[in-house]
Amino acid sequence: MIKYPGEHYWPGYLGNVFVILAFVCALAAALCYFLSTRSRDEAENWRKLGRQFFYVHSLSIAGIICTLFWMIWHHMYEYYYVWEHSSNSMPMKYIFACFWEGQEGSFLLWAFWHVVLGNILIRKSKDWEAPVMTTFALVQTFLASMLLGIYISGYHFGSNPFTVLTREFPQFANMPFVKTVVIENGEKVNHYLEHLDGRGLNPLLQNYWMTIHPPTLFLGFASTLVPFAFAIAGLWTRRYKEWQKPALPWAFFGVMILGTGILMGGAWAYEALSFGGFWAWDPVENSSLVPWLTFVGGAHVMLINRNKGSSLFFTFFLIILTFILVLYSTFLTRSGILGSTSVHSFTDLGLMQPLLIYLLFFIGLALVVFVNEKKWNLIYTGIAATCFLAGTLFGFYKEGLALFLLASVGMGYLGARNFPGEKEETESMWSREFWMFIGALILLLSCFQVTFVTSFPVINKLFGTSFAIGAEGAIKAYNRWQVPFALIIMLLIAVSQYFKYKKTDPKEFYRRMSFTFFVSLALSLTASYLFNWFQFSVKLEYAFLLFACLFAILSNLSYWLDILKGKLDHAGASIAHAGFGLLLLGALLSTSRSQVISQNYKNDVSFLGKDYSNEENILLLRNDTMRMGNYYVTYLGKDKEGIRIRYKVEYMKKDSLTGKFDSLFTLTPFIQLNDRMGNAAEPDTRHFLFKDVYTHITFPGTAPEEMDFSGDYGEPHNSKVKPGDTIFTNNSIMVYEGMQPLTDTSGLRGRKDSVAVGAKLKIFDFYGKIRNVMPVYTLVGNSPKVSETVVDELGLKIAFWNVLPDENRIEISFSEKKMNRNDFIVMKAVVFPFINVLWTGCIIMIIGTVLAIRHRLKRA
Amino acid sequence: MKKSHIIGIIVIAITIGVMVVALMDANTYANFETADKNPGTEYHVAGRLDRDKEMVYDPVKDPNIFTFYMKDTLGVEKRVVLHKAKPQDFDHSEQLVLIGKSNGSDFEANDILMKCPSKYNDGKPVTTENK
Repeated sequence: MIKYPGEHYWPGYLGNVFVILAFVCALAAALCYFLSTRSRDEAENWRKLGRQFFYVHSLSIAGIICTLFWMIWHHMYEYYYVWEHSSNSMPMKYIFACFWEGQEGSFLLWAFWHVVLGNILIRKSKDWEAPVMTTFALVQTFLASMLLGIYISGYHFGSNPFTVLTREFPQFANMPFVKTVVIENGEKVNHYLEHLDGRGLNPLLQNYWMTIHPPTLFLGFASTLVPFAFAIAGLWTRRYKEWQKPALPWAFFGVMILGTGILMGGAWAYEALSFGGFWAWDPVENSSLVPWLTFVGGAHVMLINRNKGSSLFFTFFLIILTFILVLYSTFLTRSGILGSTSVHSFTDLGLMQPLLIYLLFFIGLALVVFVNEKKWNLIYTGIAATCFLAGTLFGFYKEGLALFLLASVGMGYLGARNFPGEKEETESMWSREFWMFIGALILLLSCFQVTFVTSFPVINKLFGTSFAIGAEGAIKAYNRWQVPFALIIMLLIAVSQYFKYKKTDPKEFYRRMSFTFFVSLALSLTASYLFNWFQFSVKLEYAFLLFACLFAILSNLSYWLDILKGKLDHAGASIAHAGFGLLLLGALLSTSRSQVISQNYKNDVSFLGKDYSNEENILLLRNDTMRMGNYYVTYLGKDKEGIRIRYKVEYMKKDSLTGKFDSLFTLTPFIQLNDRMGNAAEPDTRHFLFKDVYTHITFPGTAPEEMDFSGDYGEPHNSKVKPGDTIFTNNSIMVYEGMQPLTDTSGLRGRKDSVAVGAKLKIFDFYGKIRNVMPVYTLVGNSPKVSETVVDELGLKIAFWNVLPDENRIEISFSEKKMNRNDFIVMKAVVFPFINVLWTGCIIMIIGTVLAIRHRLKRA
Repeated sequence: MKKSHIIGIIVIAITIGVMVVALMDANTYANFETADKNPGTEYHVAGRLDRDKEMVYDPVKDPNIFTFYMKDTLGVEKRVVLHKAKPQDFDHSEQLVLIGKSNGSDFEANDILMKCPSKYNDGKPVTTENK
């Protein structure tokens, strides 16, 4: 390996020592905790040792993180990760964003949260520590291995954040744009680092969302591990019920954090990306939603089990599935398998195999503790090992995978058969647990539907098929199932609190439900009538969903106010459920009633077929005023600020009496110049209490690279005109009205042989404002003298430079500022009504969940 | 029949329904030839942009029409009418996936997915040798 001057090696060595230490200590901690769980006499010693290893592991993870931050802070571009994700010009407020922009950094973030949660559990989980921390340490072993970046029999295993740039790409330092040769002591030395700048953080990610969204989401992912580890521990030590007590608050904590993380992603998409909404059923969005659905189901089934003792199997199933789905999501989004189907999938860094192994390992682990019989476990482990070897060493991927999955199904069957008997007791339909169970089933089905459709790329890879779903098709494919599922969930949320555990009196139930039922029925009927939803059978489901949302909100509120007497102690669930109802209500209203107002009135394209009339874009010339929905809009011009080209769009309303335009607000959507992802349009949104007006540029008149903000004038255009002729410029119309001899030739004092004529021009701009100008043509003797007339507001320069008396014409030339050229935009504007209901619901849901967790911790 | 059995049957029915409907909703990747044979059926067609042929976007006339030529994976070339504004970064993209149907002569796309080289070589200095 060639060394170059200026490269720092110690941070890399240090970082790699931490990586290896983190990996080895996690493995050792897992082993010690494992032995502690198994051993009778030495349990305490092993546990202590395991704890020490986990502490060292925690410190190592912290060490990796600090080292990487240090390197980014000091712009050490000799390191690949630093060069790739940061640059000199990047403001340091984005240091967090650039830290977790890449795969390695986001794995570190995830590992960091596991370390935090693990350390809390070491302190709090008492006799559960050893079995729970075994799983934690195992997960950390896998995560740390992703950072090793070593080669095992030809496979690149993981991706190391401390890779030296010139080692990964030996030719890099000799590339012409970095090579800096200096003669030192008669020898040529390449100081390539001297002028090297990093590639920088993707401009699209340079906003505060990138600072807050990933940590929240990863804390959510990390917190699915806690109930999972407890569930595994419960199966392993055959304490099938006791594990739930410590795990339950964690489950709801995780539901809250993961839900918040997902919604932050939605808010980011809505605020800063030109998705045109907060949810697009994008595969990456889906893969964070899917574990949340089972997590919600699992947490609620835990409540059933705690209160009534049934549905034990289902509890294990959902909690374990949640973590497995987190791993599956990780596999989907980071292995590169999604390819072009998603706007924000990671690129393939050779993580496909490790991630798959990671996923399959934990499926296997769950099944082993589930069956918990030595004989079968040995057979299964044997099969799994064979499949692993067949897949990795001999290339029998599909065969190995198929055999493993077959064996896993077998294990699942065995485990279910031998699962400690649940009381075979049919639940009454008049009990809360029955309907909670149904709710969890619906969530599971909903999760299955999303997973299945999102997994098309995986199915294609496995079976050689070529299924695909288009962007618009996807929304239909998901909504047709998810809307009815949401409807059932909402109805269940509305009624289930009014059911008591075990047995409910039907009369009492009807009496309590009827008021909110009829109020929400009346409200939703009225609203649906006003929205014209009854006229289309497709929209009928909106009407049903609207009713269900209102019913859920009102009955949870009334449960809180009426039955709980407005006390906050037990109100967590009611408030959280009402919040969730509001959230879905907001989603329903804003999506179903959203209105693309930027229709193209001028050009009829409907003859192309109704499927294709994608009339969502409007063309605006500069200073041209067009009607758009209830507004009139004018494109006022553009300016450049850093990497942003900002377009000023004024929204106005027309006074019906005077016909004058009154300015309402101005939006500045912009185009971000992004050499990494291509230029990206970012929207601007005006928020009102009851609606949002959302605007983004779909096409800039001039390509951003060719725009000129210098104020220079372009090529002159020449026209021969006779009186009454019109000359068109980019943003005005000039009418030539005729010549006028000028007697005042004061500028030419003393010259009797001078003649001057003016050309009377009337200039109309797109505001309707009229300017009269008169460029002058002078003859001094026989030589013409031309002066230019400048109209600053229009960026226009006019010269009258020749008279053609025979044709009764004159010659006029004009030139315009270059920035005027093609100065138009094509933009899209959407009105989202009631989107604030969605955000309010989100906040109320979080408050409710916090109350519920607090209450549960107080009772514990 | 016990209640649990009824619930089980319903769950299995919905599961099967989800799969069948999803596969019916899905359209498949195809080439221009297949799309031409079945005009009116929606397909995903992958291919490469032909930079030598003209690309027409005249927003003054209609901001929602953009035409260009694409060669599919088998090398068949067709004129494509995209019923959308010209995508921001179209000029830099190479590989395209069109979603739409053939009308016999042209391919009418209502959506487009683009792979820009910069996005997918992300992080790899392009001119260096990649081991």
